[in-house]
Amino acid sequence: MNDILNKTEEIVENTKALGADEVIAKTTFGKYRQVRFSGNQVDINVAWNDYVTDLALAWRKRVVATQIRNFQNLAMNIKKLLELAKVSKENPMFGGFAKGNFHYPKSKADEKIRDLENPTDYVFEAIDAAEREAGYQIESGGILFTKFEDVYLASSEGPVGVDSRSAIEFSIRAFSEREASGHGVQCSSTLKNFKPVRAGMKAGEIARLAKNPKAGDEGLYDIIFDPLIFGSLLAVWASMASAFNVMVQLSVFVNKLDKKVAPEIVTLKDNPATYSLTNRVFDDEGVSTRENIFIDHGVLKTYLHNTSTAKMFKTETTGNAGLIVPTPWNIEMNPGEISKEELFKEIKRGLYLTNTWYTRFQNYAKGDFSTIPRDGIFLVEKGEIKQSLKDIRISDNVLSLLNNIAGISKERQHVHWWGEADPPSLSPYVLIKNVHITKSK
Amino acid sequence: MEEDIVDFALEHAKSKGIEYAEIRAQSQLQERLMLRNGILEAYMSAVDSGFCVRIIADGGIGFASTNKWTKEEAMEIVDLAFKYAKAARRKDKIIFAEEKGVKAKWVVDQKEKIEDVSPEDKIAKFVEIDKSLSSCGVNVAATMYSCSIDLTSKYFVNSEGSRISSFKPEMGAFIFVTVAEHGKTEQAYEQFGYSGGWEALDKWNITGKMIHDAKVLKDVIAKGKAIKHGNMDLICGPEVTGIAAHESCGHPMEADRILGREMSQAGRSFIYKGGPYWIGTRIGSDVVTVVDDPTIENSYGYYAYDDEGVKAKRRYLYKKGGINEFLHNRETAARLGTKSNASSRSVNYDREAIVRMANTFVLPGDMTEEELIEDVKYGVYMKSFTEWNIDDKRFNQRYVGREAYLIENGELKHPVARPIIETTTLKFWTAVDAVSKKVEFDAATCGKGDPSQGIPVYTGGPSIRLRGVYVI
Repeated sequence: MNDILNKTEEIVENTKALGADEVIAKTTFGKYRQVRFSGNQVDINVAWNDYVTDLALAWRKRVVATQIRNFQNLAMNIKKLLELAKVSKENPMFGGFAKGNFHYPKSKADEKIRDLENPTDYVFEAIDAAEREAGYQIESGGILFTKFEDVYLASSEGPVGVDSRSAIEFSIRAFSEREASGHGVQCSSTLKNFKPVRAGMKAGEIARLAKNPKAGDEGLYDIIFDPLIFGSLLAVWASMASAFNVMVQLSVFVNKLDKKVAPEIVTLKDNPATYSLTNRVFDDEGVSTRENIFIDHGVLKTYLHNTSTAKMFKTETTGNAGLIVPTPWNIEMNPGEISKEELFKEIKRGLYLTNTWYTRFQNYAKGDFSTIPRDGIFLVEKGEIKQSLKDIRISDNVLSLLNNIAGISKERQHVHWWGEADPPSLSPYVLIKNVHITKSK
Repeated sequence: MEEDIVDFALEHAKSKGIEYAEIRAQSQLQERLMLRNGILEAYMSAVDSGFCVRIIADGGIGFASTNKWTKEEAMEIVDLAFKYAKAARRKDKIIFAEEKGVKAKWVVDQKEKIEDVSPEDKIAKFVEIDKSLSSCGVNVAATMYSCSIDLTSKYFVNSEGSRISSFKPEMGAFIFVTVAEHGKTEQAYEQFGYSGGWEALDKWNITGKMIHDAKVLKDVIAKGKAIKHGNMDLICGPEVTGIAAHESCGHPMEADRILGREMSQAGRSFIYKGGPYWIGTRIGSDVVTVVDDPTIENSYGYYAYDDEGVKAKRRYLYKKGGINEFLHNRETAARLGTKSNASSRSVNYDREAIVRMANTFVLPGDMTEEELIEDVKYGVYMKSFTEWNIDDKRFNQRYVGREAYLIENGELKHPVARPIIETTTLKFWTAVDAVSKKVEFDAATCGKGDPSQGIPVYTGGPSIRLRGVYVI
C-alpha cells in the first residue's frame, strides 16, 4: 500500500519538478463485480479490474488533467500534459487546489466485499423472496454490484491520504403481470448490513399490490413518495446545489442563498458517511469530507463547493471536489416524527408512488419538468391502497415540489438505483401536496 | 494495443471447455474541453486502453476486463470469465445465432486530421463561438460547452475465426445556453456529432445554430403565446421527428428489451410475444417507414462491423406503418430464431456489447415542408423540443416544443410558448398523413445498460404532419 502511495507522491513531485504550479494525483485500484439477471436467470457475470491514476495540474491558472493507465510511458505523459497546459487558456476563476494538511479517519471499508468472488447466491435468494412475497410465479430482473477501491491521493499543496471504499448494491424489479411490477433496492458499504432478501420482498410485495392496474387520471394529487422515488428527487435537488450547476444555470437555486426554498420540516445534507455507497474520507482535492447541511429547516444555506467555486462565492470548500467540478456524494434528508403508516393516514384521496424514470427539464433555472412513475402506482383513499394505476406522468416544478412537502416519515432507507436515484441518498417516505399528474391523450 | 496479448488470451480461452469466446481490445485517445461562460474550465487528454473477454460456457456468459496489458493478467481475466460463465447456472442455455468468421479491417477517414489541429486552435474555436454568441444582440446569461474527441482503435477476435481491426475518429460537442430577457429565462441545448476529422466543425455550423437558438428563445420570451388546448394538426420538424423515431420506434424494437433482458433498468417494450403488437402488426400510417442504419458515412452512429463482428446493414424497423424488424445481437437473434442484424455495440472495452441503435430516422416522402404547412387550417409547427420522455414500455411519450409557431390557414404566425404533445406511440405514428422530402439529422447520446453506456447516435427524419392530435 505504501509503495503505491509513494509512487503517487512521486508522480506529483516529478510533475512539480517539471514546472507545474500545483499538482494532484489520485491512484485507484478498483475491483468491480456484477451479476445481471432477468427472467429469474443470470444473464451475465461481470468482472472489471481497473488501475488508473487521475492527474490534474495547474500552470499559471491553466488547468489540465489526464488519466494514466499505462505506467510505462509515465514520464512522457506527464511532460505532454504540462506542454498542454502551456498552450492552454487561463482560467481566471481558478482558485488553486486545496491547501493544508488534513488528518483523515481510518477507512472502514469492508474487505469481505473485496473478497466476494461469486455473489450469485444472493440473487437467487432475493428472487425467491420476491416470489414468496408476491405469492405466485413472478419474473424478476436486476443487478447485484460490488465495488472495492483502494485510493491513494497526493497533492503538491499538502494533502496526502489513503482510503478504501467498499460498496454492495442490489436492485430487483419483479413483474407479477405484464404491467404490474415492483422495484426494491438494497445498498450498503458492508456485507454485514447487506440484506438483498429485503429488496426482493419489497419488489414482490409491490408487484402483488400492482396487479390489474387501471389507467390513472389527470389532476392535482397529494402524493406519498416511497424512499426510492424520493431518492430521484433528492438527487435532482442535490445536483442543483452544486456551485458549478448554479453558475451555468442548471439549477433552481440561483440567487437563493439564505432564502426559504422549502418548509421548515425540510433539512437536506450531503454526507458521504461510512454507511453510504459513496463513502470516502477525502474529496478529489484531498479535503476531508464532511456533513454539509445545504437546506436547513427550509432555508438554502450553502452550495456544494470545491476550492475554486468556494473562492468565487467567497466561502470555503465543502469537500465536494470532483476531478473538475463540485459534486454531491450522498444526500440525507432529516427524518420526520411520524411513521410511514401515520403518513398514509393523512391522505384522503391521493397517490402512493414507488419509482420513476426519465426525469427531464424544460428549463432548469425555472425547474419545470416531468418524470414518469413506474412500478407500483397506487390510488390511496383514507390511508388505504384502493387501486393499482398505470400510464401517468408527474408534470410539475421541482421548486414547487420542494415547497409542497407536507410530511416526512421517521423511517429512512439508503437508496440508489441506476442513473435515476443517483447519487445515493438516505431517503424517507415523504408526503407532497398538490402535485400535477398528466397522461397521454 | 498489443495484439499478441489479445491473441494469447483467445488461445487460452479456447483451451478451456468453452462454447464461445471473444476478446475485444480497445485503445482510445481521448480529449475533452469544458468551457463555462466562455472560460476554459479544464482540458483533459488521456489514453484509455484495455481488453475484455466474453465467454459462453455451460450456457452462461462470463465477462471480464482489464487495462493491464500482460499475459498473466490476460490469463487471469480469461479464467475469471470462464468461472463466471459457469456460475450462472442457467436453465435456458444461451447460444448465439450463427455467423461465419470474418477477417476485415475498416477505417474512417479524416479530411482534416484531428492530430494536426493544435490544442490552442481547438480551444480558440470554442472561445470564438462563445464570443459570437455573446454579441448576437441577445442577453445570454450563461453558457456551457463541452467538446469530446476520441480516436478509437479496436481489435476483435473470436473462437469462430473472426479477426477485425478498426480505427474511428469521432468528434462530439454539447452546448447549453440560457437566455434572460425581461426578467424571464429560457434555455436550449444542442448536441453535435461526427465520425471523421476536424472538418466536423465546418459541417456543424455551431455558431449559426446557437445564435439562431438564442434569438428563438428571446422571441419565445417576448412574443410566445400559449396555445389553446385541443385537437389540431401538428407539424414536427426533423428534430422532433427524430426524437420520436428514436424513443418510440428504435427503443421498443430492441430485441433484448422485447425479451426482457433490460427489464430492471431501461425497461421492456409494448411489443412482446403473445401481446397485441408483434411483427406484422400496424403501428402507424402507410407513410411511416423508420429505419436504423449504421452505414451512413460520417454519421455519429457509424460502424462497418458491430462489436460482435457482424457486418453492418440498414434495418427497416417500422415499414409502411407496420412493425417489421427488431434490432438484434447474436444472443437475441438465436432466441427469436433469426440472424443478427449487427446491432451489438459497446462504449468501451470494459462494457459488454448490448443491442443498440445507430442512426434512427424516418424515411422521406415527396412533399416540401411548405406543402405540409399549406394544408393546415389550425395547428402548431413544433420545430424543436426541450423536455421529452417516454415510459419504459415505450408507449406513453411527451415532447415539449422549444421553437414552435402557430399555423393558421396555411401560414406560420407568432411563436407558441412550449406547446406539449403527450400521446401514445400508436396515436402518434397513426396520425401522420404526410412526410416531407428533406431528411436532417441530430446527434444524440443514447442511454442504456448498467453501468450506463451512453452511445453516439443520430436521430432524424423529414418534417412530418400529424392530423388531429391533442396539443396543450
